[in-house]
Amino acid sequence: MSETSEFTKRLKQLIVETCNIPDAPEDVPEDAPLIGPDSPLDLDSLDAVEVVVAVQKAFGVRIGGEEGAREVLQSLRTLAEFILREQNKR
Amino acid sequence: MSIDFPHRQSAHCESGVTANLLSYHGQRISEALAFGIGGGLFFGYFPFVRINRLPLITFRSAPGAIFKKCVRRLGARVRSQTFASPREASAALDRALAAGIPQGLQTGVYWLPYFPPALRFHFNAHNLVAYGRDGEDYLLSDPVFEEPVRCPRGDLERARFAKGALAPKGRMYAIESFAPDGDLAKAVRQGIREVCNRMVRAPIPLIGVRGVRLLASRLERWPERLGREQAVLHLGHLIRMQEEIGTGGGGFRFIYAAFLQEAAAILGNPDLSGLAEELTETGDLWRQFALLAARNCKGREGANSTFSALAEQLRDCARREEQIFRALLKVV
Repeated sequence: MSETSEFTKRLKQLIVETCNIPDAPEDVPEDAPLIGPDSPLDLDSLDAVEVVVAVQKAFGVRIGGEEGAREVLQSLRTLAEFILREQNKR
Repeated sequence: MSIDFPHRQSAHCESGVTANLLSYHGQRISEALAFGIGGGLFFGYFPFVRINRLPLITFRSAPGAIFKKCVRRLGARVRSQTFASPREASAALDRALAAGIPQGLQTGVYWLPYFPPALRFHFNAHNLVAYGRDGEDYLLSDPVFEEPVRCPRGDLERARFAKGALAPKGRMYAIESFAPDGDLAKAVRQGIREVCNRMVRAPIPLIGVRGVRLLASRLERWPERLGREQAVLHLGHLIRMQEEIGTGGGGFRFIYAAFLQEAAAILGNPDLSGLAEELTETGDLWRQFALLAARNCKGREGANSTFSALAEQLRDCARREEQIFRALLKVV
């Protein structure tokens, strides 16, 4: 299992706890939309704020500025890749 | 027919288009620098102006202002046109592209077929650049996308003539002439002064830190004046204006902080770096406000996310930003 795949599982758990989703599906495809009507976790734009702040607290990575939240929050995979990329910059 | 245009993705469409058009003309600048020189940061709360029955709350200057001010401050001449009909607008675009001049276009998002359906909404001040044509398809540099995109003529015409608030009326704009040796430091100072004046010297209480305080006092009373359902709708609207639609988060504070970091190097003034860090912290504070407000909307509120507590958070943002922008005025 790749570093990103393993990390997406951890991220999914963080999101489920942060956004209080008791009936979250077991398997969420890494490339499925994270936010919006097609989100398997049923997250909306208000949940997106929760995710952004939770990621900053848990991993010390700020989503914002010129790399917009829209791109980063496309899927679990894009979010995981962003966090790992930012952490590797340090 | 295609122009060799330097497409770069950005968080916010107008500052992205501005940076990309300037880069094409030989002045390679970042999105943040375009946003800052164009005086993009703003706060305005206009409860009497309604969009979809909700008050106008804006964290950026008026559509078109960033491009116009940024390129003029850098010494470029701009040409902007609107049109009476889609046919006329397309003919003018074809002529400009045939002449090898990339064109900025104001469009409605809803009619652009390359936007995923979930992201299409009725917003008429979206900006992109047309840089070529392939048969009946236009080649577009839409800065919110990673790669350039294509759009059929009919769809682009509908997007350029979308109806409603901020209707683009086919608006097309371009840099006419530009010698990329303008005074960058002077342009940076002009951009900073404009934003500082708006944030802390505005003559009316709807704008700048006074506007934030007015919003705080209104927000505090929303539940009793509007009822819980409407109060939550207003709150959700505020969060979306602050954290979505290409603000880069924190109501553009993070992008503006990135601009101040670049400005510190351009002006050779390390004080600006310190203020950039303070503004980033304020962006986090705005984001914390959005987080607690979102919990309130979702019915998950605690003692720190009641309407009164949220109003206090806004007052704290206003207090800190007043200090930052007054200090910034002294630096420039």
